[in-house]
Order: sequence, then structure tokens, then C-alpha cells
Amino acid sequence: MFKTKIIYRLISVFLIFAVMIIVPYSFTILKQVTKMIGEEEAVHPPVDEEYAKLHKEFTSRLFEQMLPYIIYILIMALILSIFFMRKMLISLKELQRGSQALKDGNLNTKLEIISDDELGDVTRAFNEMAASLREKTLELQKKDTYVNAMLDPLWVVDEHNNIVDVNPAFTRLFGHMKEDVAGASIYDFFDEKNAAIMRKQLEEKREKGIASIYEISIYTKEGSQIPVLISGAPIYSGERIIGKIGILKDFREQVELRNALRESRDYIETIMDSIEDELIVVDREYRIVKANKVAKTKTKGPIIGQFCHVVSHGINRPCWAEGHECPAQTVFLTGKNIRITHQHISPSGGRRFHEIVASPIKDSAGNVLNVIELLRDVTERMEHEEEIFQKNRELIALNSVAGLLNSSLKPDEIFIKVLDKMLTMMNMDGGGVFFLDEVNKEMICRYHRGISDEYIKMLGRIRLGEDIPGKVAVTGQIMTSSDVSKDHRVERSVIKHSGMRAYCCVPVRGKERVIGVICLFSFKVHVFTMEEENILNSIGEMTGIALENIRLYEKMRELYEYQRKRREEEHEQLLSMSTKLGSSIELKEVMEQVLELIRKIFRADFAWLLVDDSEGNLVLKTAIPVKGKGEDIVYQKGISSIEGYAVEKKAPTVIQNLKTEDKFYISPELAGPSYQTAIAVPMFIGLKPVGVYTLYYLGTRDFKEEEIHFLEIIANILVVSIERSDLYTKSIMEKGLADTILQSVADGIISVNNSGRVISINRAFERISDISAADAVGLTLCDIFRYADENIEFRFLLGECLESALTGNRASREGLLLTAHGRRMSVLINSDPVFDANGNITGAVNLLRDISREKEIDRMKTELIRSVSHEFRTPLSAIVGMTEMIIDGDLKDDKVRKYLDTILSEGIRLTNMVSELLSIARIESGKESLKFEIVDMDAVINSVKESLSALIAKKKAVIKYNINGDGDFIGDEEKIKQLLMNFMDNSLTFSEEGCIIEIKARKKNGDLEIIISDNGWGIPDEDMPHLTERFYRGKHGEKIKGTGLGLSLCNEIVRMHGGKMDIKSRLGEGTEISVKFPSRSKNE
Amino acid sequence: MSKVIIIDDEPFILMMIEDKLKKANIDVVTLRESKNAVEIIKKEMPDLIILDWMMPELSGIELCRILKKDPDLLNIPIFMLTAKGQDSDEQLGLKCGVVRYITKPFSPKSLLEMVQETLGKDKY
Repeated sequence: MFKTKIIYRLISVFLIFAVMIIVPYSFTILKQVTKMIGEEEAVHPPVDEEYAKLHKEFTSRLFEQMLPYIIYILIMALILSIFFMRKMLISLKELQRGSQALKDGNLNTKLEIISDDELGDVTRAFNEMAASLREKTLELQKKDTYVNAMLDPLWVVDEHNNIVDVNPAFTRLFGHMKEDVAGASIYDFFDEKNAAIMRKQLEEKREKGIASIYEISIYTKEGSQIPVLISGAPIYSGERIIGKIGILKDFREQVELRNALRESRDYIETIMDSIEDELIVVDREYRIVKANKVAKTKTKGPIIGQFCHVVSHGINRPCWAEGHECPAQTVFLTGKNIRITHQHISPSGGRRFHEIVASPIKDSAGNVLNVIELLRDVTERMEHEEEIFQKNRELIALNSVAGLLNSSLKPDEIFIKVLDKMLTMMNMDGGGVFFLDEVNKEMICRYHRGISDEYIKMLGRIRLGEDIPGKVAVTGQIMTSSDVSKDHRVERSVIKHSGMRAYCCVPVRGKERVIGVICLFSFKVHVFTMEEENILNSIGEMTGIALENIRLYEKMRELYEYQRKRREEEHEQLLSMSTKLGSSIELKEVMEQVLELIRKIFRADFAWLLVDDSEGNLVLKTAIPVKGKGEDIVYQKGISSIEGYAVEKKAPTVIQNLKTEDKFYISPELAGPSYQTAIAVPMFIGLKPVGVYTLYYLGTRDFKEEEIHFLEIIANILVVSIERSDLYTKSIMEKGLADTILQSVADGIISVNNSGRVISINRAFERISDISAADAVGLTLCDIFRYADENIEFRFLLGECLESALTGNRASREGLLLTAHGRRMSVLINSDPVFDANGNITGAVNLLRDISREKEIDRMKTELIRSVSHEFRTPLSAIVGMTEMIIDGDLKDDKVRKYLDTILSEGIRLTNMVSELLSIARIESGKESLKFEIVDMDAVINSVKESLSALIAKKKAVIKYNINGDGDFIGDEEKIKQLLMNFMDNSLTFSEEGCIIEIKARKKNGDLEIIISDNGWGIPDEDMPHLTERFYRGKHGEKIKGTGLGLSLCNEIVRMHGGKMDIKSRLGEGTEISVKFPSRSKNE
Repeated sequence: MSKVIIIDDEPFILMMIEDKLKKANIDVVTLRESKNAVEIIKKEMPDLIILDWMMPELSGIELCRILKKDPDLLNIPIFMLTAKGQDSDEQLGLKCGVVRYITKPFSPKSLLEMVQETLGKDKY
């Protein structure tokens, strides 16, 4: 009891202290009193008994007296001790209370400091201690709140990887309660694979005290696994690691996203790989970040990560820095799609042409992050086009030169024009034509351009074999020099020091030898290409032919003087035929007419024209009277025939008596009538054989030299036309092919997943169907078209295709679709399966092509055939019916003549109809493209006048024209000629004798206006709206035959030039047609 | 002698048929216009009319309808000689009372045979 109660002890001390004072003091007093009494008794013995008794009793009386005093002292001591103890007791009680409060968790305890003594210090210390305890506790509480409030699960493990603590998030995510997992090993929560990962991580990093972060899967209470991203860190106690803490971030979403991303990547890659064009994605640094299979296979080495300019151009900086129009750069700058044709290099180093469609990939802010480039290899097409372009260029040059050569028989005119044409064509500064003077062995410059007369005196005479013209005349080979100053071959040439740089010298070949040379020069360096050399060579050859013609012609002139009267008409026809041959591409019928004319002129019984196919066989082109089918091989290569012999000999061959001539094989086509005499005339372009035509006679016939020359001229005219027609056919065919390739771009594409739901659609589809992506994506494929009941059939077809594609087979159907905007169109559906890398079908790509136009064209074709067959029936009536009557002998001789005239005129009408229809068809089908060049209106009008000269003479018409050099413009010369020919022909046809036709041309704001007016019959008002309708024949058409196609064709020609045609007319006063052509540059 | 009126705007067609029929002793009247045809037909009262369809002002089919409405003329047989070769055209022609629908080009010989057959052999 005393042990614990300090107060009792203190009281006891006071009391003992009091007792210890009182007892000795009392004892001493009592002892001294007793001693004093004894001593007194010794001196004074007690007197009496009473006295003694008094003495004796004194001590006890004293003690009695002292006892209250002692009690008083004790009580006082007790009171004093209590008084002193009181303060201490309060302090102690306070401390006790504070301790109890702390113990009860009341950390806000603050004790009153009662005394300023040690106990006060103790109380103060207690208060400080409590405050710091409070702070620490709060901190701990806060930490605990954090840990508990953490969304991410967390565990704390000890050094043996046993779990010490987890937070509520852990329980939430995995379902494990804290009390269940405490003490468990973390490895209990992993499967073997994840345990291995964990062990490795712990060994490598955490055990060594390095924080780590990695992905792992943890078992939940239900036994499934949840992927988490663990970031772990060691817990230190001093230097020692006493445990680890791991935060486990729920990674399910990321894993899902990652899987989805991988799937969509796989999907995109499948789509990308199923595209047959190259596809690359380029980032802002022009690095390729993605490429499809085609792009990978077309590139040597790895492609991803390479710069696109390194891959495509083999250069080390972006191609735009080299001045190319880089599609990627354009898209980065503009953010818009671009389509462009671009030249690249192929892995083998050759050039490739790509048609590139570049589109931006933008972020949500609209910034272009990447560019997708779809590269279609159009090298072949471009090469074709280039070839066609080259051929066209060649053709235009040859045509215009051929035109010049055909239209004139005056050498001066020919040479100056040819020289001018060559100069403009080759962009040269000047040139000259040298002729060989065989007697003096000299080359003499007769015509020149861009050289002064003085200079010509110096240059104009060159000895054969010397200098360039002399050498070319000897060798017969074209010589070119891109820069004379660096050409060792011309060391001693006069031109070396004349300032000329580029130079070319073309031989003009006559029948067997070179008769002259054409030289061109430029003050600039000019590299002559193979094509240019070919063209120059051809021009040289054609000029030679023309010259030869002139010579022959001059020789013939005498003969003509005698026979002029008889031949005048035939010759005129021949010239018009030559113009026809020069202007028409549909040669066959024209050629037939020419051959017939030749046959008539030379009174042959049979004539045919065979052409050399490229393999050396002779193929039938035309025969009069008609024999066999066109394009049949008549003589195989190597068979000895008259025709073959003539071609081999390169000269007209006459066989006087076929019956006795056994050297030659005669085609069975010629069996029947036995021909006696034949003349075969070969046709050549330079040294290349083109064909041969032969006249056969039943009787014998002699040929004069002049006649043979005449036949040779005809051969030369025919040859140019045949060659031209072949080239045209080829170029038109190839252009058609290129068009087909281009067609495929505009198709609508819908991608669906393997359950048939739409993933994406392209813009072409939106355009075709009027359905926006927002309305389509997510629906099942067939449901897109559910908006109209009419589409039920279409949906059924689409469903069939899709079903087939989703089972791995391609399918195709044709159906009728009603678009969302109510348009009706024919659609071709193509469905293809999309496979993933493992060969599983992941969806389908459906291609929808609008084939309405094709269908419309089919319809138009049928319509055209109907109207054409109708229009053809009337002239055919004459031909069929009248021929029958002639054969039946129904008619008298004078009537027969009249009938034959009608048959002929109706036949011609039919022919014209066919050729005009063909022209219109070609233009309408878009296969006919214009060949733009500078049109010399003077020359065109002259040529038209010449072609119509017979009609002009018959009508005694006056043609006035006022061009004044204002008429030159860029256009298609042949077409313009055809246009003017039709206009003038109409004016002449629908006018009285002595009519006046006026042609004016004027330029207004760069546009050219051509006005043709006449004072003819004029056009009735009711005909005006129908003038350009096909087969429409106006009021006057009742009196005069025609096709009803002329103005329709003119309208098409004007439209093709982007021009406008305006017709004004007053009945009885005349007609004025004005055509406006917009100004354009030659390259348009 | 039987009489045939031919109406066609193409002169050579007229010439051909005229020559062919005349040789077979058939009297022929040719008309290049359909304008006044009804009056002339009334005047001539032919045994047969050969009509072209496509003619300015009054088409053959219109003329045919007029003739078939006239009680004096409705019994004259009509041949339609035309370039319109569609089946539907022929149906329309026959519906209008045409006895023969002949499409161009045609054989004058067959035409003559058809004319003779229609006229009846005793009539010429």
C-alpha cells in the first residue's frame, strides 16, 4: 500500500519525524525531572509521605501534561504534511489523467501546469510529448488515408516476399481480403509464367534495391487472371532492405486496347496488302513509317524507317528540294488530298512513273501528322502515252509536211515551207537546202533561212564529200551534232567558226540516190533525240518522194498536154482523192474509190492493193471488183509473186504475158478470168516496203514511161495515207487501253467485318450512293440500302456477293440501285474476302461501280443503230432496187445511164454518211483527241478551196476572204479544215449560181472569231432549232441530197475546241455562221 | 388497165416503181407531195395507193387515216413503203388499214408481184 501511495508515505514520514522529535524530548524531560527530584530528595529528603508521594506522582503528572502537547504536535505534523502534499498531489493527479486520456486516444490532451517546480517541468514535458504524438499520429492517419484511398492496388511484402499489407483497392480488384492474404507469399498469386517473370525482376532489380516496373498477371479470388503493371520499390531500414512495396496498376484496358490496336493494325495491313498498288505512310520527316506488301516487294532492302526520297529517288534530301513537286510536301502544306503523276527510280535504277494519290492523316486539332501515299505504277501507261505522244508528234510533223508536199507541185514553195516547218518544229535558228550538182560534184545551197546572202556565198558551195553536207550526201546517213565546237568530226568546217552550236544535216533521198541535203542549225546547244532523228529522216525521205514526184510530174506534163482534155476531170478527182487521203483516217472506202479511179483511168479489168504486214506477208486491203475479205493474206512471205517481185525490185514491174510467164505464182483469188497483162507498183516509205498495187488486163497492153511515172506518183500518195492510218489505229487502240486503266479509280468501296457490318466506305461510294459514312458505318451491309423498297433486289444481289466473299470466294453481280437522293443507276458489285495473316477471313471488301454510263452508251448505241439503219434504207433502196432492175433488163439504155447515176450519187451519200457518223462517233466516244498546233488559216482556207474547186467552178462562186494574218491560232488543223469544208460545202450547195461566200477572221481579247457568210437561200425559221441534230435535214434537204450529219459534226468539232458556234440566217437573203475559239497555248 | 398512185418524196423511188409497173402495163400516177393527195386520189380513183410514211407536212400514216375515213376511198387498198423497219411501226401501219407493209430497201420485182396479186390478175 505504501509502495504505490506516495502521499501515505509522505504523511508517515512527517509523523515519524514528529514522533522522533517528541519521544526523545519527552524522555529527556522526564529523565531530567526524575533526576532533579532525586537530587532534591538527597538534599532534602522527603518530609513526609505526602511529599514523597507528590514527588513520585510528579513524573506521571508531567507526562499527562505533555501528552496533549504531543498529540497537538502530531496533528500539526499531519496537517502540515497534508498541506505540503496537496500541490504535488494535484500535479500527479493531472499527469495521471493526461496519461489515461492519451491511453484512451484523446491526443488533444493538454495539462495545466500547476507548480513551477520539477513537477511543472514534468507536466510541460508531458504536454510537449502529447503534442508531438498528436502530430505523428495525424501524419500516420493521413498516410493511411492515402494508401486506402489509392485507386491502384498496393501490397507491402517483407524480406521473404510474404505479404504484410494490402490496400482496399487490392481487395476491390482481386477480391482478396487483407486478412486472407496477410502472410501469404506473393508467388501464390502468379501462374508459372508470371512467377518466372516476377522472380527474374526481383533477382535483377528489386533485390538489389532498384525500383522496377513491368507487366504481369495476378490471380483473382475467383481464379481468373488480371493483367497489371507493377511498379515496385524496396523498403529500407538503415542499410538493410526489410521489404518491398508494389503498386499494381490495372492494365486490362490497356491490354484490350493493345489487342484492338493489333487487330485493327492487322486489319489495316490486310487491306493495305490486298491493295494492288503500292501504299506508304510518310511522317513529317519524310520517313516511311508504314508500307504494304506491294511496296515492300517493289523496294530493295527494308523500307520502313527509310526516307521516302531515298527509296523513291535515290537522293539524300527531300525531292522538293530538288525542284520536284513532292506530293507529301504538298499535303503537309495544304492538308488536302492531291493526285499527281510523279517520276521515281526503280530498284534496278530505271525510271518508274507513279500516279500518286496522297492524303493527309490529321490529329484532332487538324494538324497533318502523316501522309498516306497510294502509288500506282503507271510506267507502262506513261511509256505508252509517251510513245503515242512521240508517234503523234511524228505524225503531226509528217502530216503537215505531207500536206505541204501534196498540196504543191512547185519545188520552191515546197522547200521553203518544209524548211520553215522543220525550223519551227525543231526550234532551230536557221538552215538551208543543198542540192547535188552531179556534173561539178558540188553541193549548192538553193534555199536558206536565218543566214545572210553574203554568208551563203561563202557557205553555199561545198564539194561533194567535204564538210558536213558533202559527207551526208555521200553516206546518205543523217548527221547531227549537239555542239559543233566540241565535235572533232567537223574540225575544218566553215561552220565551226560561225557561232553555230547545234547542227543537223538530213539527206534528201531520191529514188536510188541522195539528191540533196537539208541542214538545220541553232546558236544554242541542242541534243537530238532518236525520235527527232527519225522524224528528220522521214521528212527527208518524204521530201525526196515529193521531189521525185515533181520530176516525174514535170516529165509527165508533156503527156498531159496531149491528153489534158480527157484526163482533166480524172486528174482533178485524183487531187481531191489525195486531199481526202490526207484528211481522212477511215481509209478503206476512200482507198477503194482511189483504186477504182486508177482502174478506170488505166482501163484495167481488175485492180487490187496489197499491204505488207510486218511479217513480210502481202495482205489484201482493197480489190476492184471486190474479191475475198479484206485483211486476208494473199501471198505468204517468200512466195514468188509479181507483187513480191515488184516490192523486191523496188520498181513497177510489167508482165506482158501472164499466160507464158511461169516464174510467178498467181493467187487463186485471180482464178476465173485469165488475165494477160499486169503491172505491179510497189509502195515504199524510205526503204521500208508498205505494199503494192496491181492492175490486171484481160488483153495485152503496153505502158508508156509517163504512165508508169503517173502510177508511181499515185503509189507515193497512197503510201503516206496507209502509214498514217495504221499509226492512227494503233494510237487510238492504245489510248483506249490507257483509258480503261484509269477507269478503275472512281469505284465505291465498302469494307465490312466478318459479321457483315460496315467498317468503312470511301468517298467514291458516298458520291455514287448519296449515302454518307455516318449513315453507313456500323450497319450490316444490306441494311444501308433499306431506305427504299425498290432496293430489295439490289440488296439480295449484294447479300449473295457478301455471303460468297465471307466464305472465301470472290463474287460479282450487276444490279439496279436507287440512291438515297432518288437517282437510279446500274451498279456492278464485286466482293472480295479479306484474309488475316493466318488465312482467316476477317471481312470483305465490296466494290461498287457505277455502270450507268456504260448502260446509257449501250442504249445510245441501240438508238443510233436504229436511226442509222433507218437513214440507210432510202439510199440502199436506190442501190438495191435499181441494180435489180438493171440486171433484170427492165430498162432502155438511156434510162440505164440515169439509174447508174442515181446509184452512184446515193452510194456516195451513203459513204459520206458513214464517214461523218464515224467521225461523230469517234468524237463522242472521247477516243478522238485534238492535236493542237498552230493553224495557219490562210493555208487551211486555200486547201479547202482547192478541195471544193470543182463545186466552186460549177457554181461560179466567188470566195472572198479577209484574214490579214489575224487568223493564226492553236487548234487541230485537220478538224478545222473539216469544219470549214462543211461550212463552205453547205454555202455552195444551198446557193444559186454566182453566189458570194465571204470568210472573215478576227481576234477579240485573244479569242478567234471566224465568220462565214453567204448570200444563198438561207435557212427557214422552223429548221433553225434542229440544225445540229443528227440526220436532221431541213426544208432544202427535200431538194438536195445530204446526210444530215454535217452540222452535227461541225458542232462536235467546235465543242471539242471549247468554242461556240452561232448560226444566223434569213430565208432568201443568206446565212452567217460564226465560230469562236478561245485562245490557248500549244501545250493545253 | 389498173391504175396505181405512188406518193413518195424521193424522186428516184417514184421513178423506179413507175418504170417497173409501167413495164407491166399498169397505169401509174406519181406524187412528190402528200399535201393535195386526197383531191388527186379522188380525181384519179386508183386501184391501189403506194405510200411513203415519212413525208413533210402530211405523213403517210396520217394520209392513210384520212383515206380510210372517206367512204368513197376507204376500199382502195394501200401499200406502205417505208424506211421505218421496227416491228412496232409495222403493227401501227397494219392497224391503220394498210394491206402490205414493205420496208426499204425493197425489190421492185417483189413489189410488182405484190401489186399484181392485190390488183387481181384479170384486171391488167
